[in-house]
Amino acid sequence: MVTEAAPAPTGGQRGGLLVAVPGTVIPRLRSASSTTPGRLTVSMVGLILLSVLTGIVGLVTIQDKANTLDDLVNHREPVNAAAQQIYRSLSDADATAASAFLAGAIEPAADRTRYQTDIQQAGAALAIAATDSFGVDEAAKPLSDLAISLPVYTGLIERASANNELGYPVGAAFLGEADNLMRTTLLPAAQQLYTIDTQRLAAEQDQATALPWLTLILIILLAAALVLTQRYLSRRTNRTVNLGLALASIAVIVAVVWGGVGLVLESVYVNHGQSSGSNQVDQLSQARIAALQARTDEVLTLVARGSVDYTKQFDTLANQIGGKDGSGGLLGQVLANSSSSAMSSQVQSAVTAAKKWFTLHDQVDTANTGGDYQTAVNVALGNDRTHDEATAFDQVDTALGNAIQAGRSDFLRQTDTAGNWLTALPIGVLVLFLVAAFGSTFGIWQRLREYR
Amino acid sequence: MKPGRFRRSGRFVVGFAVLALAATGCAVDSTPVNLAAASVNPPLPAGIVQGAGALAGSSSTAPQNCGDPTASLSPLTPMPSPGAMPADSSMAAIQKRGYLIAGVDQGTYLMGYLNPKTNNLEGFDIDMVHDLAQAIFGDPSKVQFRAITSGQRIPALTNGAGAPQVDVVVRTMTISCAREQQVAFSSVYYDAQQRVLVPKNSTAQSISDLGGQKVCATTGSDSIAHIAAVSTHPIPVAAQNWPDCLVMLEQGQVAAVSTDDTILAGMAAQDPNTKVIGPGFFDEPYGIAMRKNESDFVRFVNGVLQQVRTSSWTTSYQRWLGPYIQGGNPNPPQPKYSS
Repeated sequence: MVTEAAPAPTGGQRGGLLVAVPGTVIPRLRSASSTTPGRLTVSMVGLILLSVLTGIVGLVTIQDKANTLDDLVNHREPVNAAAQQIYRSLSDADATAASAFLAGAIEPAADRTRYQTDIQQAGAALAIAATDSFGVDEAAKPLSDLAISLPVYTGLIERASANNELGYPVGAAFLGEADNLMRTTLLPAAQQLYTIDTQRLAAEQDQATALPWLTLILIILLAAALVLTQRYLSRRTNRTVNLGLALASIAVIVAVVWGGVGLVLESVYVNHGQSSGSNQVDQLSQARIAALQARTDEVLTLVARGSVDYTKQFDTLANQIGGKDGSGGLLGQVLANSSSSAMSSQVQSAVTAAKKWFTLHDQVDTANTGGDYQTAVNVALGNDRTHDEATAFDQVDTALGNAIQAGRSDFLRQTDTAGNWLTALPIGVLVLFLVAAFGSTFGIWQRLREYR
Repeated sequence: MKPGRFRRSGRFVVGFAVLALAATGCAVDSTPVNLAAASVNPPLPAGIVQGAGALAGSSSTAPQNCGDPTASLSPLTPMPSPGAMPADSSMAAIQKRGYLIAGVDQGTYLMGYLNPKTNNLEGFDIDMVHDLAQAIFGDPSKVQFRAITSGQRIPALTNGAGAPQVDVVVRTMTISCAREQQVAFSSVYYDAQQRVLVPKNSTAQSISDLGGQKVCATTGSDSIAHIAAVSTHPIPVAAQNWPDCLVMLEQGQVAAVSTDDTILAGMAAQDPNTKVIGPGFFDEPYGIAMRKNESDFVRFVNGVLQQVRTSSWTTSYQRWLGPYIQGGNPNPPQPKYSS
């Protein structure tokens, strides 16, 4: 292990580089370094060790970054997507269950299918998220909450719909209880899990762009040692160029340029994948889930038939999503930061649909508070084709889903490109530093032979 | 084995065990992973309050002196025939409009609820509204229903904010002195009693048998105050809505539900494993509410109710409430008139 660089060898008593070695060796090295061949030998050994060490550390560091990028693409992103899927599927299941209920005693087949798909997706994504949680203590609680409460939730929904089929209003109360379980247990747990996974993804991105300090320090030391040794040699022997050491220097320069360019570009692409990919996906996911919760709020207000009013919650969520004209809030932020036209166009159509949705919501609200329940239900469920709120909401959801997909692709593309810049770099760096070790040996060995 | 040898070999075993432990670095730390689920709370409807907080906002009917609140204005004589309302009367304005606007409930089974199978409002209260429409237009279907919450019942008649304006409110509304300050009531059209709903296998005969047990009613209702006032001290549990009480009864989270027998009958009809028990322990006389300044309309409605009592009332009662209220009174309440 290198602990210090020796002072400049120019005319000093201690030439070359010192490598930390057990105590008994130091006096011997000291006496050896009092003669020129001794100094040269010490320098040679020092340069060899430093080159090999830098090569190995460089290999490990860069390979680690390459592995991190691999993990981001093949593991972290899918798991994060799974966590987001749980959150979204559960919200969608709740919204769908409520609107199926509103449709009357005979549940629409499409709603039934959608609800079942949501529950299946949530379950499948939960399994993926669970396999990944080993060793992440804070993920254990939300995962167990989800696993425990999901079957309870579906049981309550079935009980609600059984009562609804018989025309019993108590079905609405069971639906309310299921929704309460969703709001107070399942969704908070899903959100927590999603937050944890998003943080883990961001942490890996940071890891992939972190400056390789140790390698950098080693390279600086090696470069300094090479420069000093060459200066020492050229003064001693009046030869300007030592071929071996020149080769070593060139190998180091090539390694630095290649590694530097590779790592800088890698960081650029990882950061790009973050700003135009994963960060956008995060905000879009939040907007999409807020939209689903707002939809649940408005439908449940109708299901409750005047006994519960979620209108305030709806307004809060609507502001969070995009404000009254749909272009503020989260959607506005995404649009402002979006650099991909595929995503922007999707978000733009989400904004348009959201505006329409919020306008129709006002109609539903007016009809409902005015006691015209049937009109409110017709608009909310889209039974009235000219005032079809259900379709407007679905358009928001679909557009946001597409935008998320675009963001995910962008993230994967950028991160893959980042990984491409590291192709062959780890092994290349090792080879170059081995060349530097060989060059140093060869160059100094030639001089040493002159003293025989 | 002799005791001595046992002790020696025992000591040897202990010593060996200590050595073994030291060698393996305290392997005793391993215990089987605990697979018991962390505290699982059974699901509850939103906003349930148990114990002391359950009574918050409830108003045990404050004694307010207005004489007998159930005494209404005497019926119009003679009653106008359908479709021929006297000129300049409140009824003539309704007839001119072409339909009666009635504020009703759409979530209380058997009284006023929207049947998901037919998308029609149905129930005992709804029957009364159709009877009114029949008397005004000669056509029971000339009604526009407005679904209102219990909080909207008075604002819907007094031009209050946030409520649709209606001609009449027929929505399980108990006549009281406090309410008579703001609206006018018809004569009593149904004499509700606070009773108790329990599972069929319960041995309780009345509210007094439920001392120390949980009894559900809605937050802020008179019923919950009445439960708390019972001498054997049942434990009041407050829910946001009446159906939430039935949910908790079905889940075994409360022992009983107690409120107006009309509401309890609706619950019993939805769950064949429950029954309505006990003598009524609180009177809840229902009246049709109208605007205070429309006394001609109040007199007209009382005239209609007079006819209803001798004709369709029993049919409505037997259709909706009769089968579910044991020991209920199958006869219409006798009207009282002040002038």
